[in-house]
Amino acid sequence: MTCDGTIHGRGIRKSFGAKTVLQNIDLDIASGEICCIIGPSGSGKSTLLRCVNGLETVDLGVLKVNGELFGYYETDSAFHALSRTRLAEQRTKVGIVFQQFNLFPNMTAQDNIMAGPVLVKGGDKKQAAQRAQQLLASVGLSGFGGHYPAQLSGGQQQRVAIARALAMDPQIMLFDEPTSALDPEKVGEVLAVMKDLAQKGMTMVVVTHEMGFAREVADTLLFMDEGCIVERGDAREVLANPKERRTQAFLERVL
Amino acid sequence: MVQLTTHGSNPTMNGMDPALKPRLQRRSAFEYAAWAVCILLGVGLLVSVATNPNFQWDVVAKYFTNESILRGLVLTIVLTVVSMVLGTLLGLVLAIMRSSSIKPIAATAGAYITFFRGTPVLVQLIFWFNIAALYPNLSIGGTDIDVNALITPIMAAVIGLTLNEAAYMAEIIRGGFSSVAKGQIEAADSLGMSGMMKMRKVIIPQAMPSIIPATGNQVIGMFKETSLVSVLGVAELLQSAQLIYARTYETIPLLIVASLWYLVMTLLLSYPQSQLEKKYSRSSSRLPRKAKKVVLTDPEGIAR
Repeated sequence: MTCDGTIHGRGIRKSFGAKTVLQNIDLDIASGEICCIIGPSGSGKSTLLRCVNGLETVDLGVLKVNGELFGYYETDSAFHALSRTRLAEQRTKVGIVFQQFNLFPNMTAQDNIMAGPVLVKGGDKKQAAQRAQQLLASVGLSGFGGHYPAQLSGGQQQRVAIARALAMDPQIMLFDEPTSALDPEKVGEVLAVMKDLAQKGMTMVVVTHEMGFAREVADTLLFMDEGCIVERGDAREVLANPKERRTQAFLERVL
Repeated sequence: MVQLTTHGSNPTMNGMDPALKPRLQRRSAFEYAAWAVCILLGVGLLVSVATNPNFQWDVVAKYFTNESILRGLVLTIVLTVVSMVLGTLLGLVLAIMRSSSIKPIAATAGAYITFFRGTPVLVQLIFWFNIAALYPNLSIGGTDIDVNALITPIMAAVIGLTLNEAAYMAEIIRGGFSSVAKGQIEAADSLGMSGMMKMRKVIIPQAMPSIIPATGNQVIGMFKETSLVSVLGVAELLQSAQLIYARTYETIPLLIVASLWYLVMTLLLSYPQSQLEKKYSRSSSRLPRKAKKVVLTDPEGIAR
């Protein structure tokens, strides 16, 4: 069992009631890879991302995160759901950043960042506080530790949310449209933090509409539509010369 | 004050700058009529109440601070506080059970709430008082307890009011839980928080703003609800008044004494209640109370 920051999926399928939102998804993301997922809304991008963190469970198929079967253990005849504690343990190795930030409004920025290490991992408070200070500095917010989320701008909140996810020392970071709820002005500061993170060799999966970010930072790109991965490949290559008609049509409209 | 200005738009008429003139609300004839009717009715009622000797205001005054009335008032307050505190705690447990993903636990809480909200509290009170008819002996750890001796009127009152209140508080608290955004729970999940941790650190603190004002309302309701336990012979405020007029036949004045005390206490409680409601309905209530005011001179942290 290794903790290696890889994601592998085979034949992943997921439905909500009668609606199939993911079908036949094969996925291979290497350690340190930056993968952007693009596609129209309702194409299953976010659902795929949420499956990797266990916010949704897949119905069918194999999903390995960090080299381990995610959320389940395998016997000859079936996959069995893991206990809550084991699942929680796996999830702490995968950080997620939400479109709506989802910071805890009842805690300061610093307490938000410390929530994982202290409350979940039971770590030392002083050490966690120090680490929180460092993380805040690394997202350009030193001195903002005492602020409550309501006292921060959207861009600042999202950067605190990134720091909160990083505080758990995850091997993989997931970003679910991290800049979609931000003023255009504030998008840059969040993307800058993400670029910084990419350079440090973190495995990142980013659902985004920021084609500029995808072109500049991503290694690989997935284009999804109607629950399927329509096209994949080198990010710059796909953005410049999309092969599938569906991808061409989408890119024409957004670029 | 209503000023009838005829044609004030011309500055030369009275030398006032039209840009500075006050703008007066339009009042309809109906509003004046409503004032007149209300004042007439109010004065009529006051005169009638003051001059009708059957009200026996001197008797009211005499008993208002009577010792047994005051003792009844204290018992009413104690009953309110005890049943509210116990009822809220039990309600919290029920609300957590009700939102459990484990079906039998959620169903148990659901059945409890349905039963206790579905039957009148007066019936429940009498029922608890007579519980010994169902279970005459209670055996705990080998020692037998005589239920008849255990369930005193006050005991039955506390049990009945608490169990009933718990059902209502459970629904209020559960409503508070569901007011917490789904994203908050997902964020807690993604950090790997356990169920109880999530409850304590994320859900309950954020549910408070919607739970607290509603609980204030319940306190006011409970204060008056305690009058029901007079049927069990508990000497709270109403029963104390009844005991006196059973002796003196001054029924109306003593009921007025009791009503006045209920009214006074309710008014005293409704001020903090309205303050609570105001405080928690403000949009800034997303900011915790202990949050320091932040003056943002340099509003943005600099992103690199």
